[in-house]
Amino acid sequence: MKPLKLDVKSYQELLKQYIVSEDETSLYQAEQFSKMSMQQKISPEEIIDVHIQALKELYPDLPAEIDASLDFLMETMISYGLAYQEFQSLREKQVELQSEISVAASMQQSLLSTTKPNVKGIDIGAISVPANQMNGDYYHFVNDDAGYLGIAIADVIGKGIPAALAMSMIKYSMDSFRETQRNPKTVLENLNRVVERNVDSSMFITMYYGLFNLNTNLLQFSSAGHEPGFYYNASKDEFFDIEGNGLVLGVMNNASYEQYEIQMEKDDIVILLTDGVTECRIGDRFIEREEILEVIKEYIHLPAQEAVESVYKYFEKLQDFHLRDDFTLIFLKKNV
Amino acid sequence: MNLDIKIEEEKDLTYEVFLAGEIDAYTAPKLKDALMPLAEKDNASITVDLNRVNYMDSTGLGVFISILKATKEHNSDLKLVSLQDRVKRLFEITGLDSIILIDSTVQGGN
Amino acid sequence: MNFQSGVHIKKEWDIVGARQLGRNRAKELGFGTVDQARIATAISELARNIYLYAGTGRVSFEIVEDINKKGLKIVAADEGPGILDISQVMEDGFSTSGGLGAGLPGVKRLMDDFDIDSVQGEGTVITTIKWVR
Repeated sequence: MKPLKLDVKSYQELLKQYIVSEDETSLYQAEQFSKMSMQQKISPEEIIDVHIQALKELYPDLPAEIDASLDFLMETMISYGLAYQEFQSLREKQVELQSEISVAASMQQSLLSTTKPNVKGIDIGAISVPANQMNGDYYHFVNDDAGYLGIAIADVIGKGIPAALAMSMIKYSMDSFRETQRNPKTVLENLNRVVERNVDSSMFITMYYGLFNLNTNLLQFSSAGHEPGFYYNASKDEFFDIEGNGLVLGVMNNASYEQYEIQMEKDDIVILLTDGVTECRIGDRFIEREEILEVIKEYIHLPAQEAVESVYKYFEKLQDFHLRDDFTLIFLKKNV
Repeated sequence: MNLDIKIEEEKDLTYEVFLAGEIDAYTAPKLKDALMPLAEKDNASITVDLNRVNYMDSTGLGVFISILKATKEHNSDLKLVSLQDRVKRLFEITGLDSIILIDSTVQGGN
Repeated sequence: MNFQSGVHIKKEWDIVGARQLGRNRAKELGFGTVDQARIATAISELARNIYLYAGTGRVSFEIVEDINKKGLKIVAADEGPGILDISQVMEDGFSTSGGLGAGLPGVKRLMDDFDIDSVQGEGTVITTIKWVR
C-alpha cells in the first residue's frame, strides 16, 4: 500500500479504485484518510467537497440531480464540522484545567503533609486517599517534647477543590495555635470560630481531635460531629464505638465541645475514620458499620500501617476501584 | 437517582414539602433552590417530610443548615419530619439535631 | 463594485431571506461551495440571534477590498437588550450546551474576521468578514 496523501488527487484515486474493485483495501485506506483528516483538523464538509470534486472529474456527465444532492449533503454537514471544532477546543481546555488541578493537588500534598511520628509504645498506621485529585479529608499528627501526641482527623463537606481549600485553612489555623491551647476541647472551639467566620453557610467540617499523654497513656478527645471511631478494649476483647457528641465546625459561632477520656492499656486499639469509609456503597446497598468492623477485625492483627492499607485495598476493590468519597483511616495500637 | 420535590401550601405561609429520592451533591442544588424562597419569607413555617428520602450525604446537611440560617433571619420555622434511620443518624452524629427541629415521633421509610 | 444590501429581520422567515442574499453575494465574489455554505450558516446564526434575543434588527452585506484580496462583510445590528457578558457568550460550550446551534464562537470559526460591540440596553453590532481564498 502506498503512503496516503491528503489531497483531492489521492482521494480521487482511492475513490476510483474502490468504485472499480469494491475491495476492502480501499475501504481500509479510506479509514486512514479519515483519521489523517481529523489529525489535520479537516472538517466533514471539506471531505464532502473533496468527494464532489473527485466525483465530477471521474464522471463529468454526472446528472444535475446528483450534483445538487451532494451540495445539499455538504450543507447538512456544516454544523457537525463546527461541533467537531468546538470539541477540539474544549478538549484542549480540559487538558489545561487537568494540569492546573494536578499542580494544585501536589501543592496541597506538600502543604498538608504530616509525618507519622515514631512514638515508643504506639504503633501508628494512617492512610488518606482522595476520591478525585484533591483531598477533602485531612489528618495530622503533632508530637511534642512534653510527651504528648496530638491526633487530628477531619472531613470537609463535599469533595474536590472547594473541600481542599477549606482543609488548608484548618491546617494553618491549627499551626497558629499556641501549645497551651492544645487540649481537644479548646482546639475545636477555636477552629469552630475560624471556620464559622470564613466559610459559606452551607459548608461545614467534621473533626475529631485527640491528645494522647505518653506518660500516663490517657487519651483525651473531643468530636465536632465527626463519624465515630472504634475503640478496642483488649482486656475485654471487645470493640466499642467512640462516642463524642458535638456540633460540626462552622455552623454556630459559640459552639462548645465536651471532652472525653479513654485510659489505654496494652494491646488496646483506637480506630479513627471518615465517612468515606462508612459511606461505601456496593451497587445500591450501603455497607453497615458492623460490616466495616468485621473487615477491620480481619486485618487488625497486622502492623498498623499494613493493616490500614489492607482495609483500604479491601474497600477499594469492593467499590470496583472507584471511590465515591475521600477515604481516611487511622489505627493507633498500644503495644506496650 | 433523582429527587422529587413537592411543595404544598397548607394555609398562608405554612408550607409542607415532600421529598422523595436521594439528596446528594447532584440533587442538593435543586433542593436549595426549591426551599430557599420559602425560607426567605417572613414568619413562614416550613415542614419538610423526608419519609421517602432513602439517602442523604453531607451536601444535603449543608442545604438544611443554610435553610435553617435563612429561616432564623426571617423569623420563620423549619421542621423535619419522618426521617428514615440512616438519615436521622446523620443529623445525630453531626450534632445538627441539636439546632434543627426534628420530629421523630413518626419514623420514615414505611 | 461596492454596494450595500441587507435584510430586515422580524420573523423567522427572514433568516432564509438573509441567507439567500448572502449566498448570492458570496457566489458573485467567487467563493467556493464550502465557503458559501459556511457563510450561509454564519448568517443563520447571526439572524437567529437577532430574532430570538432582540426581536428585530438588520443583517447587511458589503463587499470589501483589501490590498490584494476581496471579501464579504456581514453586519448584524439590533437594538435589543445587549449582551451582559461578552466573554461568556464567546466561550465554547456556553450557548451550545442547550443544543441551540453553533453560537457566536461558531460564527467566529466560520468566518475570518470577527468583531462584536454591545451596549446594555442599547443593542449589539456584530461585524464579520470572510475573505475569498
